[in-house]
Amino acid sequence: MKIVISLEENNGLDSTASTIFGRCPFFMTIDPTSMAFEIIENPARQASGGAGIQAAQWVLNQGAATVISGNLGPKAFDVLSAGSAAAYRHEGGSVTDILKAFEEETLECLLAPNTSAHTGTL
Amino acid sequence: MVITIASGKGGTGKTTVAVNLAYMIAQDAQHPTWLVDCDVEAPNAALFLKPEFIEEKSVERLLPVINHDLCTACGVCVRACASNALAIAGGKVLFFKELCHACGSCALICPESAIREEPELVGEMHKGYSGPLHFAQGTLEVGFSSPTPVIRSLKKWILPEQSDDIFILDASPGTSCPVVETMRGSDFVLFVTEPTPFGLHDLKLVVALNEKEFNLPAGIVINKSGENDALIAQFAQEKRLPILMRIPLSRHFAEAYSSGILLAEDSPALGGDFIDLFHKIKLHATKEKT
Repeated sequence: MKIVISLEENNGLDSTASTIFGRCPFFMTIDPTSMAFEIIENPARQASGGAGIQAAQWVLNQGAATVISGNLGPKAFDVLSAGSAAAYRHEGGSVTDILKAFEEETLECLLAPNTSAHTGTL
Repeated sequence: MVITIASGKGGTGKTTVAVNLAYMIAQDAQHPTWLVDCDVEAPNAALFLKPEFIEEKSVERLLPVINHDLCTACGVCVRACASNALAIAGGKVLFFKELCHACGSCALICPESAIREEPELVGEMHKGYSGPLHFAQGTLEVGFSSPTPVIRSLKKWILPEQSDDIFILDASPGTSCPVVETMRGSDFVLFVTEPTPFGLHDLKLVVALNEKEFNLPAGIVINKSGENDALIAQFAQEKRLPILMRIPLSRHFAEAYSSGILLAEDSPALGGDFIDLFHKIKLHATKEKT
């Protein structure tokens, strides 16, 4: 199982998670069983348009079945749900905090986009 | 000769200068003259010139339609799309119309010929007359975010390759794609500004745009001119841009404008100034060319 988490920074398991999806600075892909992870710069961050779509496409290309982020716009949500990836919303904190909440099943599972388009645009 | 009227900042008097200049050149009757309203998101020159339209034409763009029976979800189109308008998820291609720039790459590149293109209405164009003045405008359909295709079509429809006619193009405010598309191919660009810090700030942006993209011969009109003109004059001197006209800050002009009255008609003296402006533009446009 592979989970993608949107991050504010590249600081291992202590990284602060980002509430932005499409234009967050970094993504972590992590296997919660082995805790093996990788952090990469978000390839969609500088997209002139459609960052959410591109980021969601990247998530699916990683073979991830779960995304944990803060706010998910309508287009990103459409791509993830078409690819059968589940999306969860975190309340802030470090990767360790968020994975703990995920294990305890206290994270909210998003059944619809929870923000409008372009929310993450600077 | 094609003259673009631009401003950077909105509300400086770009349309006022465009309609009055076009009106006066047409009255002068030396050249067939056109006012082409390229501010297709909010065309308003017609409010002052009250043209009678005799012809209209629609503007369409071609959007991809995916035949899911032929599509193998290979992803070639997704990688070809520079606008992130396509994605592949759950073995199916998803299309996001709002992001599509209608470039046609996906349909061209699809190895299965599973993408065909269908037209979508994005705007309308009208042409006609306002007395001796020829008039044309484009209007972007409500709900669309990209005016550029409408401006491109309008210019293609109205502007011939070679002509001795005078074309006054009223650009949209700002410095983004619609302004670039309007300025492209012009012989001269006239910057309308106001002597305020905001006016100067946006004037600098649009002057920089011209320097970077086209380097067209250019000049400045100071509207709402008064005691703070030095603000603009200093910058104009730095850039060696001539100040070709000043329209004084006047409550009377503001009232005439708000009633849709042409200033040149209301004030014959100002009308004469617009003719002078046209002669100066001609001079600078040809001088800088040679």
